[in-house]
Amino acid sequence: MPGEEIKLDRIEEFLWQIPKQGGMRVPGRIYATEKLMSGLKSDNSLRQVMNVAHLPGIVGYSLAMPDIHWGYGFPIGGVAALSIDDGVISPGGVGYDINCGVRLVKTSLVFEDVKDRLGSIVDAIFSLIPSGVGSEGAIPKLSKQDEKRLLRDGAGWAIKAGYGRNEDLSYMEEGGRLAGADADLVSDRALERGLKQVGTLGSGNHFLEIGRVEEIYLPQTADALGLFAGEIVVLIHTGSRGLGYQVCEDSLKVMSKAMANYRIELPDRQLACAPIRSPEGQDYLASMAAAANYAWANRQVIMSQAEKAFMQALGIGPKELGFSLIYDVCHNIAKIEEHVVDGKKQLLCVHRKGATRAFAPGHPQIPAAYQDIGQPVLIPGDMGRYSYLLVGADAAMEKTFGSTCHGAGRMMSRAQSKKQSQGINIDQEMARRGVVARYRGRGTMAEEMPHAYKDVADVVETMDLAGISKRVARFRPVGVVKG
Amino acid sequence: MNEERGTFREIEHTADLGIEITAADLPGLFAAAGEGLFSLIADPENIDPRDQVAVSAVGAGPEELLHAWLRELLTQFNLDGFVGKTCVVERLTDGRVDGVAHGETLDLSRHRFRTEIKGVTYHDFKVWQENGAWHARVIFDV
Repeated sequence: MPGEEIKLDRIEEFLWQIPKQGGMRVPGRIYATEKLMSGLKSDNSLRQVMNVAHLPGIVGYSLAMPDIHWGYGFPIGGVAALSIDDGVISPGGVGYDINCGVRLVKTSLVFEDVKDRLGSIVDAIFSLIPSGVGSEGAIPKLSKQDEKRLLRDGAGWAIKAGYGRNEDLSYMEEGGRLAGADADLVSDRALERGLKQVGTLGSGNHFLEIGRVEEIYLPQTADALGLFAGEIVVLIHTGSRGLGYQVCEDSLKVMSKAMANYRIELPDRQLACAPIRSPEGQDYLASMAAAANYAWANRQVIMSQAEKAFMQALGIGPKELGFSLIYDVCHNIAKIEEHVVDGKKQLLCVHRKGATRAFAPGHPQIPAAYQDIGQPVLIPGDMGRYSYLLVGADAAMEKTFGSTCHGAGRMMSRAQSKKQSQGINIDQEMARRGVVARYRGRGTMAEEMPHAYKDVADVVETMDLAGISKRVARFRPVGVVKG
Repeated sequence: MNEERGTFREIEHTADLGIEITAADLPGLFAAAGEGLFSLIADPENIDPRDQVAVSAVGAGPEELLHAWLRELLTQFNLDGFVGKTCVVERLTDGRVDGVAHGETLDLSRHRFRTEIKGVTYHDFKVWQENGAWHARVIFDV
């Protein structure tokens, strides 16, 4: 589908504005370098930024991060803050994969310790962490009662069940549990889907990456996080699996009907929404929270299984391995947060769809240990080049409702990527990049090859130069497991 | 119902996967859309149509109905790992469709798994009639 010409004003070096027009209630704003913007001009995602600006109660601007790409409803990389008094909540602004997110784990190992045994480590991870597709989860015997507790308690449930340590909870957004979750609002079908998938990675763009610290940009900050050159780290990228997808689907049906009752008209059905304070809005928030908690429990179990895999493959104990959570972020979520708008504090519902919270130093919602450095932001790359750790900075609080980018951002369609992958030996190609890869679906791997993505370095650099989030460290992938 | 077999093709979408379906009539369109959906999950080539699953859906108008039908078919995979090779529409009225999918449970060791589908989106979702044929366009979140 060809893109249309959309008028853009460059208002700062890295910030572009789409003026308010038609039914837009606020302008659109996109963070990008000139190079990234030239790739966007023919893309449908700019129209999606404009569509989001139509949402009732939207405050400030409809935002997009530099990894913006064409999604459904919201663009991926989209951020929208809505007044909780007269604004709406839109399940499409969160996405099917509720609380899809990333966690980063540090170890006491350096690359030299593992380089000859990467194959065994990756194999152990592959066998201990199922994809959850046509196979059982890591905790096969979850009862419905257990599942409801999990939906209420999130990562804390997994820790009680023996996966990880209590201190891990301090290093997750919301302590790994979004308050207000109501498992009774989650449909039987969603619960059924969730029973077998705790501790599973899923397919699509989800993966587990073993990386080595390749570059440190802010030594003091890296030091505070326990990162050093050559260190082995583990990045886990997955979400709420089938349970979350089903909650989204169920809510979209409810919201589509509610839109007519509340006389809301929008340019795209996928933006279906309801007033935050309406029964439909409140029910969505409570079921979304339950799904978000499922995602935290899922990443917690996966982290614990990955720790077992490392110990098994290397024949070492937990002390020697030093597996320890740096942070866990959500990049598909809606959260009620306080922000300053036009000099006044306001309670807003911030939708982040393919965008990451990036609170600045001193924010009360970041862990005590990170108060001086800002909230860690984890940016998975394209599995071939690099991934990043950033920290939130002051400008994020002023300009982006405390948000930054979330990943590389696709630039090639899946069909195109598959075509480009034809004739390529995927294993050899990954090996050429120095990555030991294990995957279940060749199709997914062919669609997710590094060539399908923008260079994540350009994405994080844009946000660094714009002062929104600062680069702390870059990781080079050495092992990848995909569903 | 002996519908004429429809066809589907993958369409370009940056983040997700889409299909465009063409058929002579609505039952053919629904059947081909179902086969298109399953073909994105696993290569139909080596799926054995040995099991059959009955699927019904309700919805007002062809768009709602097709959306509901695809959601129900996807549920067969999501709950039981079932992948259809062929879909047959047995009855299609204004508000309801009944059909059968023939296929088997996905086995990662035997089948060529492609990708998991998170949902049938409403983004750019369309059913239309043109030059005597039925067409539909669906984008799936993957």
